[in-house]
Amino acid sequence: MTTPAVEFKEVSFSYGSYFSFRQVSFTVNEQEFFTVVGPNGGGKSTLIKLMVGLLTPTSGSIELFGKSPSHAFNEIAYVPQTLEIDRAFPITVREIALSGRLKFLPWWGRYRQEDVEAVEEALETVRLSDFIDQPFSTLSSGQAQRALIARALASKPKLLILDEPTASVDAENAQDIYALLRKLKEELTIVLVSHDLKTAVEDATKVAVVQKGVTLLEPSQVCEHFIYGLYHTPLIQPEGH
Amino acid sequence: MTFWNALFTNPLLIYALTAGLLASVVSGIIGSYVVVKRIVFISGSIAHSILGGIGLFIWLDRVHGITFLSPLFGALIAGVLSSLLIGWIHLFANEREDTVIAAVWSVGMAAGILFISQTPGFNVELMSFLIGNILWVTPQDLVFLLILDLFVIVTVTLLHKRFLIICYDEEQAKLQGIHVTNLYLLLLALIAISIVLLIQIVGIVLVMTLLTIPAAVSALFTNRLSMVMITAIGISALLTTGGTVLSFHLDWPTGATIALLAGATYLIAVLVPKKLAGNPPPIPTK
Repeated sequence: MTTPAVEFKEVSFSYGSYFSFRQVSFTVNEQEFFTVVGPNGGGKSTLIKLMVGLLTPTSGSIELFGKSPSHAFNEIAYVPQTLEIDRAFPITVREIALSGRLKFLPWWGRYRQEDVEAVEEALETVRLSDFIDQPFSTLSSGQAQRALIARALASKPKLLILDEPTASVDAENAQDIYALLRKLKEELTIVLVSHDLKTAVEDATKVAVVQKGVTLLEPSQVCEHFIYGLYHTPLIQPEGH
Repeated sequence: MTFWNALFTNPLLIYALTAGLLASVVSGIIGSYVVVKRIVFISGSIAHSILGGIGLFIWLDRVHGITFLSPLFGALIAGVLSSLLIGWIHLFANEREDTVIAAVWSVGMAAGILFISQTPGFNVELMSFLIGNILWVTPQDLVFLLILDLFVIVTVTLLHKRFLIICYDEEQAKLQGIHVTNLYLLLLALIAISIVLLIQIVGIVLVMTLLTIPAAVSALFTNRLSMVMITAIGISALLTTGGTVLSFHLDWPTGATIALLAGATYLIAVLVPKKLAGNPPPIPTK
């Protein structure tokens, strides 16, 4: 039996006395495309930050490839929303992508040829090779998001975790990003937080609905009336409803 | 007598210009981190809390005859301690960060005022720390400035890639297994050291001018942090040299002249159309 890529064991998390999650357990196996959906404020980002180790569970445990998140940083890469990034920061696409290789360098180290090659390959994958020396501040939202994905890919992860990568991009760029993820899912385990239910569910092997807890569904269970209901009424519907 | 004629007859002016150039190096490098990481308020707090250390060491000297520790050393200790305190609170405490920063700011100044009130006589030395006087720089001060300069340059050269990611995306740095806590505290300590260097030139009251304006002007026209730093060093050198020359001719206080020149430069830079400068306007953030 192979070790799951992600394993939540009875995880609870609270902000003060307010519990976001109680006793949540689930696994994501290698090569899965795991989609996290739910209304704004439902706890999607909290779930992801617990997963990558930016937040610590109040109780329970989280393992990535059998290790705690803080010891699994060589296996995972996290792509935040571009809204969380300072778009005016003076940095080029090359520097952003190279920063994904920092974990492989000693603290005084310089980037090696293999780091440069990994960055070039990642930028080629996200179709930003022509923008390698472009300042981040001059990129469109879609290009900026792809630059952050390139940073993640440059680190050669086994698990790619993305927090709403299409949240601030137009429809055309969103489709580009989904096409890219379809390509990447052949090689990687992907955890995707998305507000775009239809597309997210089409590609998913498993779906987690996050609202007052986590409900796991097969993609076929997330049908249209659930999608509509998600944004207007409490969604959580029992399986077989 | 012109400034340049005076330069050959008065070594104080050579010391002053050298001090300005040495300070420009840290102003450009560390000031760039301050501006892009948006920690100007934190830096202001560190700068003003330094008065506590200066006041203590002047008091120890005058009242208790402990002369081997200079006020500059007191400034260094107070600056580093307050930077570590603010950094620790930023990273770990649940207190409101802006309130704590303001508290460190005012308590440091209050301690300085208290020690000075207990120190007999009119304190000329203290006034030079408050409003700066580049013309009082001694050869020993220059050696001290040079050593601190070298420390900052070597540290930044070794750690720039890590400082860059911490300034740009702290969460991503954590996920790369980088020791964000240690590096953030080190960065704040470097800011404190730089402030101690810069108060020689413009004093505590105006130190934020040199720490932020050269980097802020540079950031308007450059797109890489390393270029922001290099350009900011040049701008800072021009401002300190230009300000010193202007103050000589106008018989104005040097620190204030440098600060006014910096302010005017920033205003002009902001008003220059960015397309003219070859840099598209930055996209609003957050």
